[in-house]
Amino acid sequence: MRRTLLKAAVAVALGSASAFAGLAPAQAQDAPVRIGYAIARTGPWAAGAQITQEPNYIMWAEQVNAAGGLNVKGKKRKVELIGLDDRSEAETMVRTYEKLMGSDKVDLILPPWGTGANFAVMPLIQKFGYPMVAPTATGRKLLGMKNPYFFAILQQPDLMMDALGEFLKARNVKTAAVIHVDELFGLEQAAALEKSFKEKGIRIIEKKSYPLGVKDLKPVLNDIKAKNPDAFVALSYPPDTFLVTAQAREIAFNPKAFYASVGTAFPVYRDKMGPAIEGVMGLGTLNPKSSPAAKAYFDAHMARHKKEPDRWASAHAWAALQVMQQAVAKVGLDRKALRDAIAGGEFDTVIGKVRFRNGENATTPGVVSQWQGREFEVVWPPDRATAPALHPKPAWK
Amino acid sequence: MTLRELLGAIAAGALALAALPWLASDFLLSLALTCLMYIGLAVTWAMFSGATNYLSLATSAFFGIGAYVTAWGFGSLPYALVVPLGGLAAAAFAALVGAGILHLRGAYFAVLTFGLGELVRHAITYSEKTYAHTVGRVLQDAPESSVVYWTVLLVAAAAVAACAAVRASRLGLALAGIGADEERAQTLGVDTRAAKITAFAIAAFFAGALGAAVAVRWTYIEPASVFNPFIGFQTVLIAMIGGAQTLAGPMISAVVFSLLTELLRLQFPYAYLIVLGVLLIVLVLYLPGGLASLVGRWRRVRA
Repeated sequence: MRRTLLKAAVAVALGSASAFAGLAPAQAQDAPVRIGYAIARTGPWAAGAQITQEPNYIMWAEQVNAAGGLNVKGKKRKVELIGLDDRSEAETMVRTYEKLMGSDKVDLILPPWGTGANFAVMPLIQKFGYPMVAPTATGRKLLGMKNPYFFAILQQPDLMMDALGEFLKARNVKTAAVIHVDELFGLEQAAALEKSFKEKGIRIIEKKSYPLGVKDLKPVLNDIKAKNPDAFVALSYPPDTFLVTAQAREIAFNPKAFYASVGTAFPVYRDKMGPAIEGVMGLGTLNPKSSPAAKAYFDAHMARHKKEPDRWASAHAWAALQVMQQAVAKVGLDRKALRDAIAGGEFDTVIGKVRFRNGENATTPGVVSQWQGREFEVVWPPDRATAPALHPKPAWK
Repeated sequence: MTLRELLGAIAAGALALAALPWLASDFLLSLALTCLMYIGLAVTWAMFSGATNYLSLATSAFFGIGAYVTAWGFGSLPYALVVPLGGLAAAAFAALVGAGILHLRGAYFAVLTFGLGELVRHAITYSEKTYAHTVGRVLQDAPESSVVYWTVLLVAAAAVAACAAVRASRLGLALAGIGADEERAQTLGVDTRAAKITAFAIAAFFAGALGAAVAVRWTYIEPASVFNPFIGFQTVLIAMIGGAQTLAGPMISAVVFSLLTELLRLQFPYAYLIVLGVLLIVLVLYLPGGLASLVGRWRRVRA
């Protein structure tokens, strides 16, 4: 009986193996440029990935193909995207990138969504030599790995928190209360914030953390309300961003400045919270008013996906594709040359000029944005501002 | 087949599979690794839960504990030591907790074991934040993928061998007795408490060792990703589809299920979950005894 079973198992394994082998298309002279990636379409990472990242990949490939193809060192070739679901699992994602780079030998890869996922691909991109420009990965630990093939195009925590510190100092804010999610992102942001606020002379009168997936922040908010800080900062993830906004409004906790992190830039935040969020600040890089290029990007996204992109990392995802595109136009698909071109070049993108230093975006400054009416206006730094800041924040509606 | 022959067959199978790193591409190797991981998880789950009818959802908790032992120990300790340590930590945890919760039955037990994953996840998050001032840990200089593969192969083979040995032992009989009627087994003089705790801890050992072995592939370990409840659900699903009362059922099912999921995922990147769901429903409706029962049917037809 065991032998029969073994035979059956081997047959299944071989059958699947040949089916996988059949997936790789034949290489032809003018074959399309194959660009592979794994991203979450199911599981807990899917919400962020499907708001911020994959819609940009799809739109980009379509735009490039509509324009006759990707310029590969002067020669136009069509683009073929190979996008697979990573099921929000590190193991599945690692396996998929091993397939894309090791077995399928795609021409280029695009990054997965999120810091943890980007960490997991790091050793692979170095092993196989694929440059990767990541729009949704932040953290000094990530950059500390000094992977020559990795480029982070999103602003790192210290930049974003320092921008907030400068903004508040310019408005004479003296005291602040901070809550943060117990996760790499929250901890790094909180550390950066403390450092910046100390330098700016803003006293942190309360600092609390909460676990990922928290369901009630009211007790913490009540405590903080009693201490009456000038500014309140929540270094939060999307579900808690929604929660902290709704609960602060419920208890009428209305400090002069109210800041929440990831998720404030999502259009769904505005649509779900309604006019209540007038004056709420958060992480954001740009909006359609920032530049004609930004306007064109928002319009194209709206036309293709029937929804607006978010006002922070979405544009960075688009900029990452632009960096890749411009580097390929210059040096072609030789990946070593491509890596050097990305590391040494300057690129014209929707978020402005981008240059990298030690794998980090060295040109995009920290930005503070604020909801005013239906737009997430950039209010800091002054040279990027699209509207004057509302300060103090109006009362909750 | 006697136990001796069975163990010989397992060793021979493991030896044959050990050649895979020289034959297969990186991708096929990591696919084989996933199959082996789920073989190890599913057979040990079936060894305890299949026999006793105590539905445990604690696999993710054990797996995550193992992964965190790697996160803490890797770098200062050799990989070959970290893996068994991960298993031991999970087994110790299972024995401790098992002593407290193994008198619960049915849905209460299932819900509580599911809660264990959450409990450990929050406990680790809290202690990491408080004492290490970080939550995620970076693993650098991970072993070669072939080394990880051989390690997982070894653990999986040991898991199958251990389950075969348990099934042939007094412990196996005790577990089956508990599954059939726990009060009767008690009346007949079986120390059901000791049997349950032992089996629960053995299953946890292998889940923990597998977690510790596989975690090096992820570079970055954080509670949210290693205490993934999906790993526990998938293990239960695989064992049930294969036939949780048997030894071979969960093994076949782990291979079939992993390959099928992967094939569907790669061929139908958008619709694979629907196809998979329909297949599962069909399987449960028409093959309640699991894949292993197919063999019996086939034999009857031939006879």
